[in-house]
Amino acid sequence: MSFFFVEPEVYKKYKDRVLAMSQSIQVNYVEHLAPEKRKPGYSDKQIAEALGLDMRVVREIRCVGEREFYDIDEWEKATEFKERQCRAYAERGVASATGKYFAAKKVKKAGKK
Amino acid sequence: MTDADISNPRAYKDELIEQATRGGALVAGVADVEAFHMAPEGHRPTDLLPGARAVFVVGGAQPRAADWRSPNAEHMETTSTSDRISALALKLCHYVERKFGYYALLNPPGVDRGGQPFMSLSLAAELAGCGTRSLAGPILNREYGFMYYAALITTLPLPVDGLAQESVCPAPECLSMWEAEGTTPCLAVCPIDNGGCLGGRLENGKIVDSQYDRARCTIRTNGNWVPGFQKALGLALDEPDGERRKMILNSTMFTRTLWSMTYSNVSQAQCFECMRVCPVGATHRNLN
Repeated sequence: MSFFFVEPEVYKKYKDRVLAMSQSIQVNYVEHLAPEKRKPGYSDKQIAEALGLDMRVVREIRCVGEREFYDIDEWEKATEFKERQCRAYAERGVASATGKYFAAKKVKKAGKK
Repeated sequence: MTDADISNPRAYKDELIEQATRGGALVAGVADVEAFHMAPEGHRPTDLLPGARAVFVVGGAQPRAADWRSPNAEHMETTSTSDRISALALKLCHYVERKFGYYALLNPPGVDRGGQPFMSLSLAAELAGCGTRSLAGPILNREYGFMYYAALITTLPLPVDGLAQESVCPAPECLSMWEAEGTTPCLAVCPIDNGGCLGGRLENGKIVDSQYDRARCTIRTNGNWVPGFQKALGLALDEPDGERRKMILNSTMFTRTLWSMTYSNVSQAQCFECMRVCPVGATHRNLN
């Protein structure tokens, strides 16, 4: 019986490069941007070719790396964010997102008087 | 119309749209299979169905107006999934194959072994003219805003709709906010440079830069699902104290994650905060 997984030494060696080349943090991914502007990131196959690895190894490294990117604390932050923002919207609507800017403007304006 | 009467592809399309509308779709469109060249290799229509000639996209079944108003974030974590629109697309696949006699493949709503979509539904929806890409990421329909999409890939040569003429995002309100404050509602809610997932820039009324932290967004949208399970399980396995291990395994987070995992391949989004503040389609979210 076998089970495919990447050895930790291989994972540690290539993780940062695989993640940097992948689409985990997407900058200018959207398709309608000008071709010279677009940075879609590389597919697992392209990363494998660039690093001289098997595509399946790249896929495993990328998937484990993405899962490991943030530690368990981020889950708690996600829960807090959603609860806070959802409740704020129920109370104040879109102003829950925009209000702070108008409030800052008022303060600035009051300061000039 | 007979199965052999392919001289009138428009009639096939009209009938398919009628079936989609009867099934609850709010929008429908056809994308050209050749237009998916921007998709990564292996994730284009012909990679899933050799000989494919069209992609039929349906959209709808978005959260209800009341869902958006609830102050309880957990509510939308459990109620808003893509399974209704996906079920409709599967029904249409059966229709195409049985009534018209052409191959029709449902683009699976889940992800493949590498955590990637089989074929990007966002790209398909955009290429079918159902909506356009937003700064926050989701495809926005001009009338309804955020909605779920499903697609079937078929050898039936349907007439193509193509891209929408104008971009839905940025909305006029967002453009005004950008000009005044250098941000938009979605970016303000979830800024990537302050613990959030989104970044970007507008210029001359268009999106010219975008940033998206997919790893963080995955935690927010799939937190109580497989990713959360893997994290919590790892924590539990590493915990040497039996009593503490018990507390982890029976915790609300772990328990909720197990409940959510009963949705195996349904796209289950658990964070909507960027879309909650989006003005596109807001008229449909404001009731009495």
